[in-house]
Amino acid sequence: MATPKRSTPQDATVVVRVPHTRKLTIIAKDPGIMLPDGSMLFARIEIPAEELARGPTGYRVKVVDFDATAGRYYRPLKHYQTAEGALVDPFDAMTSGDVGGIDAAAQAALLADPNFHAQNAYAIVMRILARFEFALGRRVEWGFNGHQLHVAPHAFFDANAFYSNEDSGLMFGYWKGPTGAMVFTSLSHDIVAHEATHALLDGLRDRFTEPSSPDQAAFHEAFADIVALLSVFALPEVVAAILGAPPRDKRDAGVIRSIAPEKLTLEALQQSILAGIAAQLGTELNGLRGGALRQSVLLEPDAGLLDSDEFAEPHRRGEVLVAAFMRTVLRLWVKRIAKLGTFAGGAYNLDMVIEEGAKVGDHLLTMAIRAVDYCPPTDIDFCAYLASFLTADAELMPDDSRYGYRATLRDIFASYGIVTPDGGRCADDGSWLAFDAGLPVNYARSHFESMLRDKDEVFRFIWDNRRVLGIDARALIKVGAVRPSIRQSPDGFFVRETVCTYVQVAKIFGSEVKTVLGVDRPPELETTRSITAFGGGTLIFDQYGRIKYHIAHPLNDTARQAHRLACLGEIETAETAFDRRNRFALLHTARFGG
Amino acid sequence: MAARKPVAVEIFTYQVGFGDCFLLRFVYATKMRHVLIDFGTTGLPPGAEASRMLVIARDIAEKCGGKLDVVVATHRHADHISGFATKDGTGSGDIIATLAKDALVLQPWTEAPDLAVDATGPLPDDQQGFAARRTSLAAMQAFSAALIAQLDAKPPRGLTASAAAQLNFIGRDNIANVSAVENLMTMGKVRTYAYHGLAVKLTQWLPGVKLRVLGPPTLKQSETIRKQRSSDADEFWQMAPQRLADASALGAGNVALFPGHPTDRATRLPMDVRWFARRIEAASGDQKLSLVRALDKAMNNTSLILLFEAGGKKLLFPGDAQIENWAYALAQPGVADLLAGVDLYKVGHHGSRNATPKTLWNGFAKRGGRSKKDRMTALLSTMPGKHGSSDEGANTEVPRSTLLKALADDTDLHATHLLDVAQLCDVVRLALR
Repeated sequence: MATPKRSTPQDATVVVRVPHTRKLTIIAKDPGIMLPDGSMLFARIEIPAEELARGPTGYRVKVVDFDATAGRYYRPLKHYQTAEGALVDPFDAMTSGDVGGIDAAAQAALLADPNFHAQNAYAIVMRILARFEFALGRRVEWGFNGHQLHVAPHAFFDANAFYSNEDSGLMFGYWKGPTGAMVFTSLSHDIVAHEATHALLDGLRDRFTEPSSPDQAAFHEAFADIVALLSVFALPEVVAAILGAPPRDKRDAGVIRSIAPEKLTLEALQQSILAGIAAQLGTELNGLRGGALRQSVLLEPDAGLLDSDEFAEPHRRGEVLVAAFMRTVLRLWVKRIAKLGTFAGGAYNLDMVIEEGAKVGDHLLTMAIRAVDYCPPTDIDFCAYLASFLTADAELMPDDSRYGYRATLRDIFASYGIVTPDGGRCADDGSWLAFDAGLPVNYARSHFESMLRDKDEVFRFIWDNRRVLGIDARALIKVGAVRPSIRQSPDGFFVRETVCTYVQVAKIFGSEVKTVLGVDRPPELETTRSITAFGGGTLIFDQYGRIKYHIAHPLNDTARQAHRLACLGEIETAETAFDRRNRFALLHTARFGG
Repeated sequence: MAARKPVAVEIFTYQVGFGDCFLLRFVYATKMRHVLIDFGTTGLPPGAEASRMLVIARDIAEKCGGKLDVVVATHRHADHISGFATKDGTGSGDIIATLAKDALVLQPWTEAPDLAVDATGPLPDDQQGFAARRTSLAAMQAFSAALIAQLDAKPPRGLTASAAAQLNFIGRDNIANVSAVENLMTMGKVRTYAYHGLAVKLTQWLPGVKLRVLGPPTLKQSETIRKQRSSDADEFWQMAPQRLADASALGAGNVALFPGHPTDRATRLPMDVRWFARRIEAASGDQKLSLVRALDKAMNNTSLILLFEAGGKKLLFPGDAQIENWAYALAQPGVADLLAGVDLYKVGHHGSRNATPKTLWNGFAKRGGRSKKDRMTALLSTMPGKHGSSDEGANTEVPRSTLLKALADDTDLHATHLLDVAQLCDVVRLALR
């Protein structure tokens, strides 16, 4: 990366290169993660470059370090660029590369500085945002009406952290841990990544927070956990540290580090890597996260889990998706390790092993995020997510024969009882059935160029074609998003698609469930009771503006609507939080509180 | 022997405002027997005399002829036990203690004073868990007390008036009522600490009346339907008072989170941070409220759920049991059938929406319009505008309007908030065939 120089009229020949990224210091995982010598593991991560205002405040994130408990605003004192405009990392204390331990004094100074906490939260949120934008091939919106996500790194004294759509922000609490030292959720990579993911997923699919089936309630949590786990997993030295290797040092540059094959079996990796990441995340957080994560990554396959009462509760249910996903990462990692060369005695090159793991993690994370584009906009369930994932992957990598990513994913998901939706909606490979090109879709009245960005144009297209698309014109139809995306496949080709979503909202009475939703009225649903039903679809247009996929949840999808009504009947009696701010706050508190 | 069976039951529902107080009079051919179920308030009806609880205690003494046979304290919330508080021998609780000299006193297992429960009280099936639960219940009350002290000293910024009022109300309801608890601990002749399925023989006190205890479940029982590890919750509450104290020290400025780092006061914030700072304050207030709600619920779920059966009639008194407490009972075989025939239902938790599970309500066979044969009776002791809110679809107001309507439509509803303030109680009489 070149250092930018100001171009002046006198010196017009200087080439000015504006860096696209910058590096900022963060705590690699958690303040609780210590290296063998007792120091904490830090990392410098790469995030989008920009000229930051105080806070730090940038084009997508605004840190406001106000503490409601203390009634104090911790002033931001750091500068993120020099007078000449060069970008700086005010907390760069690293002496040995980008990841590693730092001396005790520097470590203590960082932890005692609220501005470092602010930077830690800022940098991790930006990293997750950049990861989403990379995966989706476009800019990504937050789930609220605004451009900057507000972040409160020390919001209040409370063992909680959450995303609040209502407040356009993330609130990170802190409290006194069992050792008497303060525990800061804004210093936990995993928690910051988890909350940032809630904000991004809410932007991609704002109806996923509506009351629906247990799967939908669980999905937000599970998805946020998956992104957070893979975000930590993507830091090579974190993986190295868990496998027992100390951080790289300038002095050992080039030395080949080896690892014994028995440490690389599926079982061994599961115990070391997954349990390692999860357990260590929880040490200082006093059971807030670690216990649940550990439980989910070690959950053994069982196709009956999702039908059991125990896994009806959103967090427990989410664990099943997380477990299936993380197990897939490991299985594929082991497959890739098997194709690596070995040294005498069967030992592997540790750095190669880690690199293979990072590749798998990175690919699956990209696909996990991209899959959201292929999800129906309402009433998500694990099965639809699986089909969306398979579709996203198949679009980019039609040939799955080398490592069998999709086959592995399907096998493992099936072992947890998650299979692609039935009813002729999926192709043999489990991906969504492509749109039938033979259907008489009318493209003549809409303009291709406008269809790439104009919601009204897309609405007109949908309205014109409502019959062939199977859309009930009696319900409110609203185009949620029109998002042109360019995605690069590993072989260098680009896939251009426009992702459009529309939602249907029907406010009906109990007496109308049969005629509108096609469902027999459950006896406990009074005929005069008012209910809201959702339908909708995702339309994927190819580079020629033709429909490639129509992933729909029609309003009269009987099975889905009947299932939702049954689930809502239960939700009505169990306490639900209708309060928008507390939706996530309560879910999180529920993990360790009432 | 016919004389050993009651021929009628009269239920006096006292107007205590927001609280519960029921006197059951079982009428036999030659005698009467009396059961007092709860005696507490957290807000007297507007216009009621300040000595209302004392007046009620005296009325109870008169009605029962100086002797209570059974006293039930469903759970330790102030709105159910505050009347049991004593005051140098002249309090309402002193009167009740005298009436209950020979009574059976029934409380939930969570109130058992220690592990060595006396012979008539069953030993909980998980001693360690029992101790933890007791400690955590005590911690909840300590937390409430500290929170209320904090609210009194310095109301938090950013809380709306209605949220602050609720925080105050629920908080006060959860403060330990030491005098009442101690009075109950020594009251009566026999003290039983009950749980789901415990057989309580009433022969000696209420011949011909069968009592079934449907809740609360013990720790082991609730394990079977658990969705949350209860030990996590216990641990959380045990640490809560300390956390509140830590937060309080920070708020008072006695401790600095980052000593030496320059700060600005909440009232002197730079322009660009004000909006979000206010949001953080509001979120922080909401967090407090949700904590208090969680502990309120935990306490409600220690409620006894009692079903009295006599002469083919069933009377259901579920205290403030919420869905989590009910869930265990409703999942047990035969319970749904048993409850289908309820003749009289004391509406759970003053008519809140979480205390009358749909499965329970839908299962009542004797509810229906005015022409319904043997139509069931519902007793509701409540006072609107105290608890919960109907703002913006929160649907948590107590009593819940939709439930109130269903009760009015489908039962013979007796509600205290519809009584004239001067009227001390409402009476319902059921013949026991």
